Amino acid sequence: MNITVETLLKVTQLTKTVKVEHKKLTILQPIDLEVKAAETLAIVGSSGSGKTTLLSLLAGLDLPSSGQVYLKNQPLHQFNEEQRSEIRAKHVGFIFQQFLLINSLTALENVMLPAELANKSDAKALALQLLEDVGLSDRSDHFPSQLSGGEQQRVAIARAFIAKPDVLFADEPTGNLDSKTGEHIADLLFNLNKQFGTTLILVTHDQKLAARCQRQIEMEAGHLISNISTLANSVEINKSSNAKVI
Amino acid sequence: MSILNPLAVKQSLRLLNHEVRRGELTIIFLAIVLAVATVFSLSGFSSQIKRALVEQSSSFIAADKVLVSSRAVDENVLVQSAKHNLSSAQQILMSSMVFAPSDDPNNSPMLLASLTATTELYPLRGELLVSLTKKQIADDNAQLVHAPKSGEIWVDKKLTRRLNVKLGDLLEIGVRQFKIAGVIKQLPDASFSLFTSGPKIILNFKDIYATELIQPGSRLSYKYLFAGKNADIEKFSDWLTPQVNETQRWYDIKSRQNALAKTLTKAEKYLSLASMLGIILAAVAVAVAARRYSQRHQTSVAVFKAMGASITYIKQLYLLHWALLSLVSIFVGVVCGYLIQLIGLAVMVDYLPNANNGDLFYPLVLSVITGLLCAIAFAIVPLTQLIQTSPLAVIRPIVNTKLTLFSWQHIPALLALLVLLLLFSQDWQLSIALLVGGVIIVSVLILLSRLVMNAGRSVGSKAGQALQLAIANLKRRANENSVQLVSFTIAIQLLLLLLVVRNELLTDWQSQLPDNTANRFLINISQPQVTKVNAFVQTNNIHASVIYPVVLGRLSAVNNEKLNNDATKDEVKPADNGRRGIGRELSLTWRNELPNQNKIVNGKWWLNSDTKPQVSIEQGIAKRLNVKLGDTLTFHLGSEIFDVEVTSVRTVNWQSMQPNFYMIFNQQVLQDYPATYIASLFVSEANMAEFNKFIVHYPTITVLDVDAMINQLRSVIKQVSIAIQFILILVILAGSLVLIAQVQATMEERQRDLAILRTLGAKGKLLRNSVLYEFVALGFIAGFLASAAMEVAVYILQTRVFDMTASFHLKFWLLGMGAGGLFVGLMGLLSCWRLLTKTALHRHVV
Repeated sequence: MNITVETLLKVTQLTKTVKVEHKKLTILQPIDLEVKAAETLAIVGSSGSGKTTLLSLLAGLDLPSSGQVYLKNQPLHQFNEEQRSEIRAKHVGFIFQQFLLINSLTALENVMLPAELANKSDAKALALQLLEDVGLSDRSDHFPSQLSGGEQQRVAIARAFIAKPDVLFADEPTGNLDSKTGEHIADLLFNLNKQFGTTLILVTHDQKLAARCQRQIEMEAGHLISNISTLANSVEINKSSNAKVI
Repeated sequence: MSILNPLAVKQSLRLLNHEVRRGELTIIFLAIVLAVATVFSLSGFSSQIKRALVEQSSSFIAADKVLVSSRAVDENVLVQSAKHNLSSAQQILMSSMVFAPSDDPNNSPMLLASLTATTELYPLRGELLVSLTKKQIADDNAQLVHAPKSGEIWVDKKLTRRLNVKLGDLLEIGVRQFKIAGVIKQLPDASFSLFTSGPKIILNFKDIYATELIQPGSRLSYKYLFAGKNADIEKFSDWLTPQVNETQRWYDIKSRQNALAKTLTKAEKYLSLASMLGIILAAVAVAVAARRYSQRHQTSVAVFKAMGASITYIKQLYLLHWALLSLVSIFVGVVCGYLIQLIGLAVMVDYLPNANNGDLFYPLVLSVITGLLCAIAFAIVPLTQLIQTSPLAVIRPIVNTKLTLFSWQHIPALLALLVLLLLFSQDWQLSIALLVGGVIIVSVLILLSRLVMNAGRSVGSKAGQALQLAIANLKRRANENSVQLVSFTIAIQLLLLLLVVRNELLTDWQSQLPDNTANRFLINISQPQVTKVNAFVQTNNIHASVIYPVVLGRLSAVNNEKLNNDATKDEVKPADNGRRGIGRELSLTWRNELPNQNKIVNGKWWLNSDTKPQVSIEQGIAKRLNVKLGDTLTFHLGSEIFDVEVTSVRTVNWQSMQPNFYMIFNQQVLQDYPATYIASLFVSEANMAEFNKFIVHYPTITVLDVDAMINQLRSVIKQVSIAIQFILILVILAGSLVLIAQVQATMEERQRDLAILRTLGAKGKLLRNSVLYEFVALGFIAGFLASAAMEVAVYILQTRVFDMTASFHLKFWLLGMGAGGLFVGLMGLLSCWRLLTKTALHRHVV
């Protein structure tokens, strides 16, 4: 498989089938997708359309039933859990709807975690800097339960950027927040993204948030039904996919 | 796992530090601490109690172990006992006429006395109290002594009365004269035999030979007393036991057939059982807490994995986290166990003066092993599941595998439990029985609890809103709840079980010694005196046994087969051919009615009109002599011989303070033989003066005073009861922790549910009541199931282990259900209280 230098993520004929009570259920129909470095991509669609499943396969959290996923030229679909972990440690960051901070670690320790896992010696300094960037330098020794939802998500954003990942996956990052806080979080996310030059792939229901991405793809019943470039630097659509251009 | 990753170590410590401070590990910490502390204190404490009790009770035989022989034993026995660091004393016991020298040598007062010649160390256990001065005699005081000096003797008070002698007088025994140097007030090993011959005289061991009473063919017994540390005694016993022949007896206090021995054996069994149940409860608490620990950390593991942490890293992180937590808990457990033991012993010091801290090594090793086993075996499955948590859990809700009834997952825990029980009881049979019984009970309980959960729906449809919600919740969480219900049930059941058995034991003991337990035995009542005694008893309203006639006789043949022991030399000859006899004269009696506390187990009691000669034989001696229903026994009564058929076999409660007999005949057989009579009475303090006045008129009646013995037995029972209470408290703590751990186990899920209900507008009162009802219902159902399971277990224990009659315990059913509902309801409400307050809910839904 040939991937150009700018292509960070390439997916071909990706499917996912699960067994539910002795029946096979196809959650993802064959999907082809390519994401370039530093691109921002929103995956939209109704609940149960397969967005989150796609995200989990792209991030190497799960293995596809068939098809290929290449992240930074690495064939994730051929890797075992351990190898995929290594790839995630080097190249991937996450932001979740439920924030998913480790409850028994302080804000600072939560942010430091990925940097420590990636063996960065200056984890603490980096973490403090990022907490300052997200406006929480005075809350660094607070535990998640002592922070509001918006504050927890800001810590999560700081945590996501600390290891300078090549790609950041965000699953409904504002889904659990009120609109004002959500907007603030989104600003923070896109600003840092720009600052770090990270590729951003986010799953969202929020049209406004999706609109801030360079490209949107829409899922429906496991199919990728549309692929929209919202900004000038559009991306070539893979002709073999069953996606249609709107 | 290779070398530890420093980051994993750092992260582990960090997590541990924060989680400990935030109280997230409290339950698991407490569970391990309690398991370890329970084992430490119980193994230390109950063995201390056992040792102290046995030691104290050993004063009844004046030693830890006694060897009685009809011939002097080989010198090597004493050499070996010294080698085993035991102290020993030797005695020769015999009966002889003694004379009080008088001016008329042909008319010296004389008396048949029982002589005990003893070496200096006697008694090795217990106290020999002798009044050594006239003042002491007058004040009824005495001092602690051992053997008398050579040339001196100590005598029974009865003897001074009967021979009209006093302190300082001389007494002739054999060819020697001895000075009476003291009057015996209390003998530690006064034998409780109604038919011992004559008042006691204690003389120095060396002097017995000087009396020249020991001649070839003299009837005497040699008694060797040994005392020392338990382990030494056991080793010595292992060496000696194979050499003990049939004419010798080698016994300790527990092998005696008396009330005290039975009390001690039952108490020991109870203490072991309570300790084992305590360990099971603590282990269940660890298992429950370990499962919760694993579930609580799943999201963190998923996050770690999503961030790219390797499996090795996660393993190191959590194994280290768990190991540190376990080690700290084990350490704290050992310290707590030691403190509990100290406190327990301090509290009981007045009751158990012989208890001390004893050997700490055994409890230490046992409790640390318990802690490690609990931490490893009960956590291995939940920890493995935790480590295997998929990183996908960060975006998909975690569906926890349901606890299934039959699964390999339970094997490590069950094996660990078996090892623990074995370590503690060193009894394969009991451990396996407890485990298998437990597994069966749990299986039945799980099935039952699911049935109960399913039945809930129809009941709830018309109930109030909160109740409806509670029942809906119970149903929805049926799987978690049935696990919860089973742990509640086990905890309540084990507690009920201990309570019931404790009560039964205490009642059993108390009924052994009711308030009007006979404290005086009257022996040698002559025929004309019988009416006088009866009149005295009636006038003073004294609680007395029936007056039994006693005829001495010898059993000489069974079914015309001569018994091989010649009565006078019975214990000298080993029984190497033919049937073995009893070897001494028996006290025979006749009666028309079956005596109290005697039960026919085979055959039939005779009718008054029955003129055929018949005998009813006691079960134990029937077994020993191999006598069966319908056999013919031949008795010698003086020069007369008669045959009689065995028509019934009886059990006798030897612990009852009343005259008991091996052989009871019908009236026709014995009525024409001259008899003396025997009776037991309870003489109260108020009647004592009257009684003493009465008995002075009948110097030929022997009075046996068993007050001291009864008091000693009462005090042992009191001590045992207190020890049992103390251990019960420890076990109740373990049980409560299981309940708390189990309530806590579902908190996360409850938190979510309550938040949702609150968001939907449910009022605080509704939520509070629904939580309360849900837990009360769980506790109540658990109490009900526990009572049923307890009843089965108690039945088995009573009939198989404690040798008691089975009974039904309605009171404890009510207690089980009531206390179950109340405690579980309260714990549930308390645990949810924080969740039920508005701010906590608000925070969660934001």
